[in-house]
Amino acid sequence: MLPVSYYLIVAAIVFCIGAYGVMTLRSGIMIMMCVELMLNAANINLIAFASHFSQVNGHVFVLFSIALAAAEAAIGFAILMSIFRSKNNVNIDNINILRW
Amino acid sequence: MAVDNIVYLIPALPVLAFVLTLAFGKKLPSGGGYIPILAIAISCIISILAFLQIHETGIPIEVSAHWFSVLNVGIFIDPLASVMLLMVSFVSLLIHIYAIGYMAHDPGKPRYFAETALFTAAMLGVVLADNILQFFISWELVGLCSYLLIGFWFRKPTAAAAGKKAFLTTRVGDVLFLAGIVILYSSMRAVFLERFPAGIPDGTYLLQFSTIFENISHIDPTHLTIITLLFFGGAVGKSGQFPLHVWLPDAMEGPTTVSALIHAATMVTAGVYLVARTFPMFIASPAVELAGITIPATLTVVAYIGGFTALFASTMGLVMNDLKRVLAFSTISQLGYMMLGLGMGSVIGAAAVGFAMFHLINHAFFKACLFLCAGSVIHSTGTNDLREMGGLMSKMKITGITMLFASLALAGIGIPFINKIVGFPVGTSGFVSKDAIIVDGTYVFAHMTHDWIPFAFGIIAALLTAIYTFRLWFMAFTGKPRQERHPHESPATMTGVLSILAVFALVFGMLTFVPFLDFVNQTYDPEKINHLAELGGNPILEDPMHEIHHIVDHASPIIILLPVIVGVGGLLLAWMIYNRRWISVASIGNMRNPLFVILAKRYYQHEIFIELISLKFTYGVLALTSEFSDRKIVDGIIDGISSFFIGGAEVLKKIQTGVVQNYATATVLGVGLIALILSFRGVF
Repeated sequence: MLPVSYYLIVAAIVFCIGAYGVMTLRSGIMIMMCVELMLNAANINLIAFASHFSQVNGHVFVLFSIALAAAEAAIGFAILMSIFRSKNNVNIDNINILRW
Repeated sequence: MAVDNIVYLIPALPVLAFVLTLAFGKKLPSGGGYIPILAIAISCIISILAFLQIHETGIPIEVSAHWFSVLNVGIFIDPLASVMLLMVSFVSLLIHIYAIGYMAHDPGKPRYFAETALFTAAMLGVVLADNILQFFISWELVGLCSYLLIGFWFRKPTAAAAGKKAFLTTRVGDVLFLAGIVILYSSMRAVFLERFPAGIPDGTYLLQFSTIFENISHIDPTHLTIITLLFFGGAVGKSGQFPLHVWLPDAMEGPTTVSALIHAATMVTAGVYLVARTFPMFIASPAVELAGITIPATLTVVAYIGGFTALFASTMGLVMNDLKRVLAFSTISQLGYMMLGLGMGSVIGAAAVGFAMFHLINHAFFKACLFLCAGSVIHSTGTNDLREMGGLMSKMKITGITMLFASLALAGIGIPFINKIVGFPVGTSGFVSKDAIIVDGTYVFAHMTHDWIPFAFGIIAALLTAIYTFRLWFMAFTGKPRQERHPHESPATMTGVLSILAVFALVFGMLTFVPFLDFVNQTYDPEKINHLAELGGNPILEDPMHEIHHIVDHASPIIILLPVIVGVGGLLLAWMIYNRRWISVASIGNMRNPLFVILAKRYYQHEIFIELISLKFTYGVLALTSEFSDRKIVDGIIDGISSFFIGGAEVLKKIQTGVVQNYATATVLGVGLIALILSFRGVF
């Protein structure tokens, strides 16, 4: 059995890729996908510790997390759809109506 | 008993009349003037019933109800309140009747009658109050009505200004009075919390007069002196004592009936009544030392201010040419006499209240009569200026004779020593009461304390009073008309009232002197007063009533004769100067005579009060300094704080780019920074 740190390193890499994507990408859809990556990095951690400590709590949490991610994706894409309808693209740089 | 259940109607009916007259006066004949007359007549009848009951049983009428917290509302009629009540309702009734004729041609009648009805209600409220707070509320209402009625002809700028001046000047006194009430309340609270540490029991009302009087000996003497001095400050404002007397001559801008009702007979006596009402507190106030300054006992202050005012105002009365202003200064002077009489309480105890109240009642009759005569004269000649009158006696007999009687009363003309033979003093009412204050009051005071100053004040003021009173009468009613006018006698409602008042001015003092004093002296228990006087360190006589007689009986006849001598002397002097013209008026009363200039300029009061105190000091120094500190310092600090934040926001708002990714980056960087710091500190 692999030591738990291996899983954690993989999860950290996935999280950083996701975070980097959220900070730098332009397309709204790509940003949504990067958010999913960050969520799943957290899920990997939960599963890793759950199996390490032989507890079922982590598994349950991951199920909640996946359900939450699905809901979030649905809302997120709905928002992107309405942005697309008004602006004809989903380039995040153009959406700055909360500017001062 | 029946009267107890209806005494509340005494002030309530005039209030009702006020509302009705205000609402329906325009549609009724005489501007609705008959409604207040009816209401006040009923109040007057109830007052008489209350008086009869108290006179018979000797028990004061007390009606009291819980108001809130430790305060109550109530009615308290003891002999003192009772005589005041009779005077206020009766004089007010007569003046309302007179006003029907006097105001007949004025379009503002409904407003006039509504305001005088409210005034009467408020004044009755002052008299009936059983606690100092209710007293103060009514007192303020009285002040309001006075303001409204002085400025009754508000389209005339001088009337509007006079109303404002009266309101502001009396306000100075009212603020002092209110401060006194606040200190009294906190002192009483301290006294009761000490006696009842668990809390003040229900049914104890801290500001009720009876509660206050029972606890005077527990109140800190220094506080007591401060409280009574502040109360006296209120009385100084209301009763036109020096130095707050400046509003009263200007108050003559109102209708003459108002001057008679408010600024001669009733309202201005409220201050005297306040001192009489709280007399136990005044007599218990000792001389105290405060911050290195010795404050004399309050009654001493009362005596000196009163005596000085009596003299000071009468000197100015000598040179005024406006008929009503002469009377205004004489009112101030007579109020000074009443205060002087009260101040003598430090030696003669509660007898001083009797003398002062007796003078107050007599003054109300003869001064109301004088003012209404003046009103009658002004009504028919159309001028206030004495120099334009003359020879009115042939045209206005009733007014002339009633005014002569009232003038004799004001000058205090009477026959001394006869009281030894017939058992009561013989003379006009002014003679009886002024003589009581000067001889039984100030002379006894001088005899006991060797302080002759109050006596001198009284005598000199009496001389001047006689001179200016008869100067007025001779100038208006004798000699030849100095201007072509067509005077005519006034209607019967006016002359009828004048006759009633003139009869009172002549005989009231004679007939009621002894029973009046017996009755009013029941107000305060002599033993308690003696005890309180000891607390106040006042040199009171052991048994004032008997000892006064004893001292006066053994006085030199000159002392007894002096008030009458100066009265008759003043009359003769006025006769010589203004009727016979043996002494030329022009040789004394011209601008080369420095004394005359000072008097004609009224001691430069206008210059001192308006230009020096108001404009230079209050406006120039206080107001402008406050304005500078408000605009530059206070506003500057506020503006500085707000501009600091506005400037900061201008800089900081740049970080709100509206791009979500920038916020995400900031969050990630922030979390990373926290993680870094925590790892350096060895948390991980």
